[in-house]
Amino acid sequence: MNAELNPVVGYVALTLVSLSTVLIGIYGLRISRTTGDFYVASRTVRPWWNASAIGGEYLSAASFLGVAGLILISGVDALWFPIGYTAGYLMLLLFVAAPLRRSGAYTIPDFAEARLESLMVRRVTSLLVVVVGWLYIVPQLHGAALTVQITTGLPAWVGAVAVIVVVCLSVVTGGMRSITFVQAFQYWLKLTALAVPIVFILLRLTADGSPLTDAGAVFAADLNTGGDASLYRNISLVIALLFGTLGLPHVLVRFYTNPDGASARRTTLIVLGLLSVFYLFPTMYGILGRIYTPDLAADGTADATVLLLPSRIFDGTAGDLLSALVTAGAFAAFLSTTSGLVVSLAGVVSQEFFQGSVKGFRGAAVIAAVIPLLLALATNTLALAGSVSMVFAFTASTICPLLLLGIWWRGLTDVGAVTGMLSGAVLCGGSILAAAALGPESARYEWLEQPALWTVPAAFAVTIVVSRVTATRTPGSVSRVLARLHTPEPAQRPQ
Amino acid sequence: MNPADGPPRRVRVTAPRTTARPAPGSYPVIRELAEQSEVGELFVRSLIRSQLRLAVVVAVGFLLILIGIPVLLAVFPQIGELSVFTVPMPWLLLGLGVYPLVISCAALYVRGASRNEMRFRDLVDEDGSP
Repeated sequence: MNAELNPVVGYVALTLVSLSTVLIGIYGLRISRTTGDFYVASRTVRPWWNASAIGGEYLSAASFLGVAGLILISGVDALWFPIGYTAGYLMLLLFVAAPLRRSGAYTIPDFAEARLESLMVRRVTSLLVVVVGWLYIVPQLHGAALTVQITTGLPAWVGAVAVIVVVCLSVVTGGMRSITFVQAFQYWLKLTALAVPIVFILLRLTADGSPLTDAGAVFAADLNTGGDASLYRNISLVIALLFGTLGLPHVLVRFYTNPDGASARRTTLIVLGLLSVFYLFPTMYGILGRIYTPDLAADGTADATVLLLPSRIFDGTAGDLLSALVTAGAFAAFLSTTSGLVVSLAGVVSQEFFQGSVKGFRGAAVIAAVIPLLLALATNTLALAGSVSMVFAFTASTICPLLLLGIWWRGLTDVGAVTGMLSGAVLCGGSILAAAALGPESARYEWLEQPALWTVPAAFAVTIVVSRVTATRTPGSVSRVLARLHTPEPAQRPQ
Repeated sequence: MNPADGPPRRVRVTAPRTTARPAPGSYPVIRELAEQSEVGELFVRSLIRSQLRLAVVVAVGFLLILIGIPVLLAVFPQIGELSVFTVPMPWLLLGLGVYPLVISCAALYVRGASRNEMRFRDLVDEDGSP
């Protein structure tokens, strides 16, 4: 496939973003301070910075490219995706943010072990977190592959390999992880990369008298190339996105940099504002794409809408500059989400298998990055937003019951948690695999392909029933742990 | 840190993560109280219950409104015919209208949760502090 854009633009944008990421990784190490400083600094991060950092890490390929692509294909039904991604943080705020901050756990396995006093729960949770992380990295790499192919004309695998190389370099040399500033910057970069071009595009179209919405025709369902989604599908999708966000490994660790539970809540509130503003832009790209890039839906590269829209409207240098900006934003999205995931996975893997040493962490980071690369190279690119929603369904069916019941229910036992997680994993994973094997013509395809609506309640039910049956195994520390999770910190006390 | 000491010594943070440091102020009196006396335990239970009730009420309210949108559009198709600046109502509701709703629910919850915690602090202070 030939590049539709000027390849120089793509090379420059990709090189700049990759180089600055690696450089910040290296220099970040140089200005790392003493252990005490490390902790204190991390606890005095202002909510605004922290919220920007969370947004920067969360907004992935599926948000940056996938939402617009899906609007191009399936119209108004696609709007459920950004709603779910945003409202997931509402659920996080309601049920998880403050208690989890107070738990003092860095990772979900840490939390599970502290709450249930069981190494077995820790092992199973670690395993699931690693699986979730790997599955979530794969669509990022598919996004990178698509972006490199579209913007430079190089073979697709180059993009996936480039992301993994840059992430490994920056994580192994010092980790951009500890630098909240970098991730906060990534949010504003992604927002600018979408907002500036769309402003120019709207001004240009208005000045030329070109259609913005084609007198409303752009919204008509007959422009959709994908089938209409059923009510079941939309509800199941929203359930997956709402309750899957809770369990994403790279989301949780960020909450630790809040000073206390109350500020964890304030931070989440700001994150919701930032996400709401962000998602307006991919939506606009998607809508304009229905007029100016409808051919992309036909040849299966709808996810490239955001990348190609500026060059369809502007020629010459203006088009090149705006394309460079969106390309840079897209690459920033793959890099920040992937590195966030790789770092949290490396933490989990090195704890389990390398006794948490620094060398072990580096080895674990490489393992955490290379396996999803192999997966990405071996699989075909699905629609980004769609494949990410499967990961959310899996997380919602496995880690969500553990977190919610662990935080709010005294009766949870280790056996209940493990059987609940495993049955959720088997049901949800099996169902998605069955859907892939049987194909869209099979009976009840939607129930298999988008299973969250029945697998999430099933996982909760199994957890609760088994916990009831094994009630004698309730840990003795439950009252103490729950008091710690829910009582406010005294530092905040008005004296 | 004194800048005159030159660049600070680099220290790797390698402590096992499971023994993460407790929240600031080491172990707060408020919690000690809550854990050691029966009254304290009762206060904590009622705090957890009120926080859970608040979270569930906000979540259910939000979900009802969210599910209400497609149901409303299905029951009254004429709403779908309306449009503002050529943008049809379903697109406006889902693409724009939901976000202020999410943020209002969140703000409402944050206020309510802080109020619950304040009430808990007052209770514990009255009851147990010297």
